[in-house]
Amino acid sequence: MAIDTIFKDEASQEKGERARMASFVGAMAIADLVKTTLGPKGMDKILQSTGRGREVTVTNDGATILKSLHIDNPAAKVLVDISKVQDDEVGDGTTSVVVLAGELLREAEKLVAAKIHPMTIISGYRMAAECARNVLLQKVVDNKADADKFRSDLMNIAMTTLSSKILSQDKEHFASLAVDAVMRLKGSTNLEAIQIIKKPGGSLKDSFLDEGFILDKKIGIGQPKRIENAKILVANTAMDTDKVKIYGARVRVDSMAKVAEIEGAEKEKMREKVQKIIGHGINCFVNRQLIYNFPEELFADAGILAIEHADFDGIERLALVTGGEIASTFDNPESVKLGQCDLIEEIMIGEDKLIHFSGVAMGQACTIVLRGASHHVLDEAERSLHDALCVLSQTVNDSRVLLGGGWPEMVMAKETDELARKTPGKKSLAIEAFSRALLAIPTIIADNAGLDSAELISQLRAEHQSEGCTAGIDVISGSVGDMAARGICEAFKVKQAVLLSATEAAEMILRVDEIISCAPRRREDRM
Amino acid sequence: MAAVTAPQQHRSSKTESYVDNKRKEDIRHANIVAARAVASAVRTSLGPKGMDKMISTSSDEVIITNDGATILNKMQVLQPAAKMLVELSKSQDSAAGDGTTTVVVIAGALLEQCLILLSHGIHPTVISDSLHKASLKALDVLSAMAVPVELSDKDSLVKSASTSLNSKVVSQYSTLLAPLAVDSVLSVVDPATPDMVDLRDIKIVKKLGGTVDDTELVRGLVFDKKVSHAAGGPTRMENAKIAVIQFQISPPKTDIEQSIVVSDYSQMDRILKEERSYILGMIKKIKATGCNVLLIQKSILRDAVTDLSLHYLAKAKILVIKDVERDDIEFITKTLNCLPIANIEHFRAEKLGHADLVEEVSLGDGKIVKITGIKDMGKTTTVLVRGSNQLVLDEADRSLHDALCVVRCLVAKRFLIAGGGAPEIELSRQLGAWAKVLHGMEGYCVRAFAEALEVIPYTLAENAGLNPIAIVTELRNRHAQGEINAGINVRKGQITNILEENVVQPLLVSTSAITLATECVRMILKIDDIVTVR
Repeated sequence: MAIDTIFKDEASQEKGERARMASFVGAMAIADLVKTTLGPKGMDKILQSTGRGREVTVTNDGATILKSLHIDNPAAKVLVDISKVQDDEVGDGTTSVVVLAGELLREAEKLVAAKIHPMTIISGYRMAAECARNVLLQKVVDNKADADKFRSDLMNIAMTTLSSKILSQDKEHFASLAVDAVMRLKGSTNLEAIQIIKKPGGSLKDSFLDEGFILDKKIGIGQPKRIENAKILVANTAMDTDKVKIYGARVRVDSMAKVAEIEGAEKEKMREKVQKIIGHGINCFVNRQLIYNFPEELFADAGILAIEHADFDGIERLALVTGGEIASTFDNPESVKLGQCDLIEEIMIGEDKLIHFSGVAMGQACTIVLRGASHHVLDEAERSLHDALCVLSQTVNDSRVLLGGGWPEMVMAKETDELARKTPGKKSLAIEAFSRALLAIPTIIADNAGLDSAELISQLRAEHQSEGCTAGIDVISGSVGDMAARGICEAFKVKQAVLLSATEAAEMILRVDEIISCAPRRREDRM
Repeated sequence: MAAVTAPQQHRSSKTESYVDNKRKEDIRHANIVAARAVASAVRTSLGPKGMDKMISTSSDEVIITNDGATILNKMQVLQPAAKMLVELSKSQDSAAGDGTTTVVVIAGALLEQCLILLSHGIHPTVISDSLHKASLKALDVLSAMAVPVELSDKDSLVKSASTSLNSKVVSQYSTLLAPLAVDSVLSVVDPATPDMVDLRDIKIVKKLGGTVDDTELVRGLVFDKKVSHAAGGPTRMENAKIAVIQFQISPPKTDIEQSIVVSDYSQMDRILKEERSYILGMIKKIKATGCNVLLIQKSILRDAVTDLSLHYLAKAKILVIKDVERDDIEFITKTLNCLPIANIEHFRAEKLGHADLVEEVSLGDGKIVKITGIKDMGKTTTVLVRGSNQLVLDEADRSLHDALCVVRCLVAKRFLIAGGGAPEIELSRQLGAWAKVLHGMEGYCVRAFAEALEVIPYTLAENAGLNPIAIVTELRNRHAQGEINAGINVRKGQITNILEENVVQPLLVSTSAITLATECVRMILKIDDIVTVR
């Protein structure tokens, strides 16, 4: 066959129907995998690493599950990518986007089987997505002007996001933590300023928000444990003697006394460096590298608090929040920006001592200390909290909110259904399919909660026939309920991103009619 | 469906059973079975008559222990859900320090009940939520049962420490170890932060030889090291002036590579002489400050001391302890109330610590150095643990750690609660009653929770060789009659008022066992898939 001569050995090609089937099946398999994590009663997954240590992660976060999977199917990879993008862009809805894309493809598969050209499906999907987006835009609520209402919106969004996670039992506590933290940021989306520290022990309820910055390090021996009005120099410098970096450099001397002199000179150099550092007029010195005994003692003598071996992330953040710069040379004290804070003190959390910097220059900064039974719990709590923080910080900028609990999907489905009826031609079938795919999301939420989804969805659809309906699925009581009254909210930005990127991904996979997998890169390319 | 009938419909849909597909059911089942296997492995070590386990580690080391956390830690389980139980016992260890077996046994019993509930088709999240509610209620019940305790009430503290020690290998020494644990914790309580105890301020030094009876509390410092004998230096020093140094008393060495060029014999002589005078110079400076005891930090760069310097130090009548770890420096300086000295130039009298006596004591075949009568001693304590073999010694250390944790719990949360299965059976009774007033699935799940808690008295009785069914039913009966402190007296083999028998434990141990076990079970319940990843 001709193909054998075109491609190298081991390269494979799949065409037409088969290619499309392969990508449909792959994408749907991925969607089915994460489907059960959707919604407040979604289940968790154990991720067991095959690497050393066989580490175990327990998670409910779609993005985390997908990004750690081994995947060979190219279409499945597209879905993993959209979930990753969703995570980066808005932080939440990582599962929804994959599930929606999977459902769109499932519907498309049926249409293709009914001999409808993929291009027709695509154009139908496009129209439907556009229409769905417009209807969402009409229905959004914006409470930016009213500070109290806005805060309660934020609280609701945070609680909705958290209710599907491990933190659901203490969601009010964590929602207010997250809202407080995000409100401190005053509109910036720089989540760097919010530090999350995990300390095993205690229960999730013991987690708290602390203004200022906490560094997980110890203070040097014999140095003050408490400093007010601290001037902080953050540095990344080697505090031992400056070594000559020439291989085989050595000095030749002819007596012990000379060796002692050299040693003395080395010590002197260290002392000079320390003097220079002290010359900055500081009373706290944080170094990323080790501070050896000798300089430590010098700092102690000068009454300066010296912290050694702070991790890189730690000092970068410290520099950021205290408004200082990371210095590595100390010759020009004027040009180095020092960090400032009102108080440095040692605090104890659980069994560990940490250093607390309060009243830092960057007022937005704060630290959330998470406590929990085990590392699994803490890691998952951090991921959940991160989702909530991302969504909130996005919402602060784009304050439009929607109701949750399957409400937006129902609204969109209704509108696209109407569009389908008005549209002549085959496209209308695709638009109808789109509406069915949208309905799948509330169906899955109900299914995961062990509810009778067919019953609930039909009730919901009936309710939505009336204008201005606020009904959605109330998973907790297992019935159709008023979402506005229950305070279940979602950010508009999340929904929009889910809708658009799922449609785009489905479209992309639909267009495929041939998969060529290249031969593994082993030999030299002779073509 | 007509809108009018909707409300009824809603209620009925809540009780809709959960349909699992085969795979998820299998995975959940496998998880629960694995976790239960772990729990049953440690079950027999619960209680004062619990048995010990012998663990032979991969490196052919043998450990005999009764401590749940240690057993699980060494078991090297691979199944992810089983691993979570191991983590659970670790968390209990860090939260309360004691009750590490209890927490795993409770979790195992809860999982067993969950399995039954799941087979009835109850949705896992419903079970999970109900368990959470039940655990909150349990905490209320426990707090209501608790008796407040004052730190000045040493008796109660000793009682609870000895309850913890009674289940260990070293139980016959509990009369000695319990007051010791109480004393050592109380001595490090800082008046400024009365709720916080840093157990790192209590140093446990293990020394082979003697019996556990010889364990003692030392108000001062103990080093498991010999005094340097190289040149016949002193081994006992009264009115000691102690310096902690972080530099080396040996010929100079520079960071940059150096070589001394010797061209003839006379030069060699001169170099030797210089070396001698260099060291002598240092020692003279040390001596000049009146220092007579030196603690020298270990150095990786060069020898901390040489034979030559030891010789001179001995001549100068200075007692030398070498190879002190850098990590210990903070503890030592805190205890001695002195500052470490990193350079000979900074060697000043005000940086020295003072003690009445520094002496080397022979213990069995080894020697230790004791520093006692320290002036202005920091808030630290050292406990010297002795034992006839390494296994007993290690177990004594672990048991003492548990006892210390128990006392620490009491310092943090000053409430005591009865032991001997009394709180569990009371919880079971009250939750059982509460379950009857709840509606629907919740009541059913809370009932299961209440039944699961009976595992503790059941296991206690079983391990003690009593008839568990007779004991548990008898206990239930007594509690139903209002004797909330009736518990199993394992020594007498009958049910008595356990508070009068002085079997008490800190409230924190019980509460954290319940909350942590519930949290862990809920997490396992919510898992429906195991995905293998990179």
